[in-house]
Amino acid sequence: MVPGTGYGSHAHLPVPLEIAGIGIMITLKGVTYTYPGTDSPALQDFSTEIPRGQFCAVIGPNGAGKSTLAYILAGFIPHFYQGTLQGEVSVAGKNTTTTPLGDLIRMVGLILQNPFNQISGTKVTVREEIAFGLENLGVARSEMIERVETVMALVGLGDLAERSPLALSGGQMQRVAIASVLVMQPPVLVLDEPTSQLDPIGSKEVFSVVRAMASSRQMTVIMIEHKLEWVASFADRVIVLAEGALLADGDPEDVLANESVWRQGVGQTRYTLAGRRLEELGKWKEGKKLPVTLEEAVPAFRKFQKQV
Amino acid sequence: MAEAIGLYLPRASFVHRLHPVTKLAISGFILVAGLALPGMWSPYLLVLFGMLPLAVLSRVFRVLASRTWRIVVPFMISVFLIQGILWSGGTPLIGFGPISFKREGLQFAVASTGRILIVVSSFLWFALTTRPDMLMSALAQRGLSPSLSYLIVSSIQIVPRFQARAATILDAQRARGLEVTGSMLRRMRAVVPLVVPLILSSLIDVEERALAIEARGFNHPGPKTSFVEITQAGWEAFLQWFLVLAMAATLIFRFLSR
Repeated sequence: MVPGTGYGSHAHLPVPLEIAGIGIMITLKGVTYTYPGTDSPALQDFSTEIPRGQFCAVIGPNGAGKSTLAYILAGFIPHFYQGTLQGEVSVAGKNTTTTPLGDLIRMVGLILQNPFNQISGTKVTVREEIAFGLENLGVARSEMIERVETVMALVGLGDLAERSPLALSGGQMQRVAIASVLVMQPPVLVLDEPTSQLDPIGSKEVFSVVRAMASSRQMTVIMIEHKLEWVASFADRVIVLAEGALLADGDPEDVLANESVWRQGVGQTRYTLAGRRLEELGKWKEGKKLPVTLEEAVPAFRKFQKQV
Repeated sequence: MAEAIGLYLPRASFVHRLHPVTKLAISGFILVAGLALPGMWSPYLLVLFGMLPLAVLSRVFRVLASRTWRIVVPFMISVFLIQGILWSGGTPLIGFGPISFKREGLQFAVASTGRILIVVSSFLWFALTTRPDMLMSALAQRGLSPSLSYLIVSSIQIVPRFQARAATILDAQRARGLEVTGSMLRRMRAVVPLVVPLILSSLIDVEERALAIEARGFNHPGPKTSFVEITQAGWEAFLQWFLVLAMAATLIFRFLSR
């Protein structure tokens, strides 16, 4: 078991050979994109590099260009949406503009907000639902069975295998959606607000599964998310977007405690909020970093225990 | 233990294990024969000697009978009353004062009820005994476009979801003071704030659904495979061809005998 996740890590999926030697999984250079029928770009002159195996969270207020970034990484911009894309996007060494979408979906798995809309609606059981992508890729039946069982164990869906995918809770359905993408074994996973419609337990399940994928499988994860406390404890890196441009990029502890990030309307974790309140009261040591996670908060707040 | 999907009723019957296309051909043949054969009683004979044994064999008789009944009976009552009484210039059979049932009107009612009966029962039998996903895979294997079969199968499945959403919107609008009861005019006015959000939210969903199935390779070039095994006995292929020819023959007979 991966500590603290509750999901088995013994069920390893093989890393596709073609990406075994790649260190930087995603490269964006001066990327600007404008949706059709709009004047201002949704994403402007954005550049970054994401190494293989990193769990990178993307946060930012509404309209910051987060979903746009997800569609660009998955190749749906420019293959599905019209509009003008400038700059260079490469995923696993492939240029997404010149590579057909049929090849890109093998490289990037995309998971969206609404779990219900990601269920194909044509399958009777969870097991068959997960196999849908493999059927489309033309994978042989024997291999399909093996891969589906492996992924179900990985994501913790074994008990639900025979249930109807449409009769599950939101969290379970989102896990089916994730399994349905993982089974296709993409080296990159892009998640666009996957927990926005889930309750706290469902959200935690999603974070745990994704964390385990990055740690045990060297999967590169880009997750757009609003739940900062979990971003702080699970992600390796946080990118902050505001109005289509990069605002901050770095370790969750540094980025989330940053005052300019918080002023952009991104929010802050309750630990940072408590620290900021102490700062206002003049009780916080000048220049001392504000806590972001529970682990940081406990020692930082200990000395205030008696004063409360 | 899979929950019901669409109309499908899981049963351990020989019919359930048949190839979807075989069942499609059987119900198609019964439908065509029921509509094309002459004589007002022929649909009833087909139901009695075709649908009834099939329903019993498939172990869906009870459900099939009650659902068919619920659809056909209201239609039957209205068609008998309206056509029986209002048929102009026919032979009166029984009269109550100025009202009388005409022979021709009743014959017409018997014939149209028979048609409805055969359409409803053959469709329901097929839907009750065939898993939509198997039908989809089977049709794809026979060369039907995957998009078309996806469209058919997923719409059947999405209906309950659509109804649930309509109910949510209804509740939400009523909570904000929308009057949905009362005079006809008031009800008509309530339609717009109910229908517009339903259609708009469904359209937004369509985009996400399209992205999601695209991300799972729906339009991936090259042949697709099937996770569920769809088996077909040798005689089934023979039966399918036989039924298709029989359908064609029935139609030709129908047009020649005009």
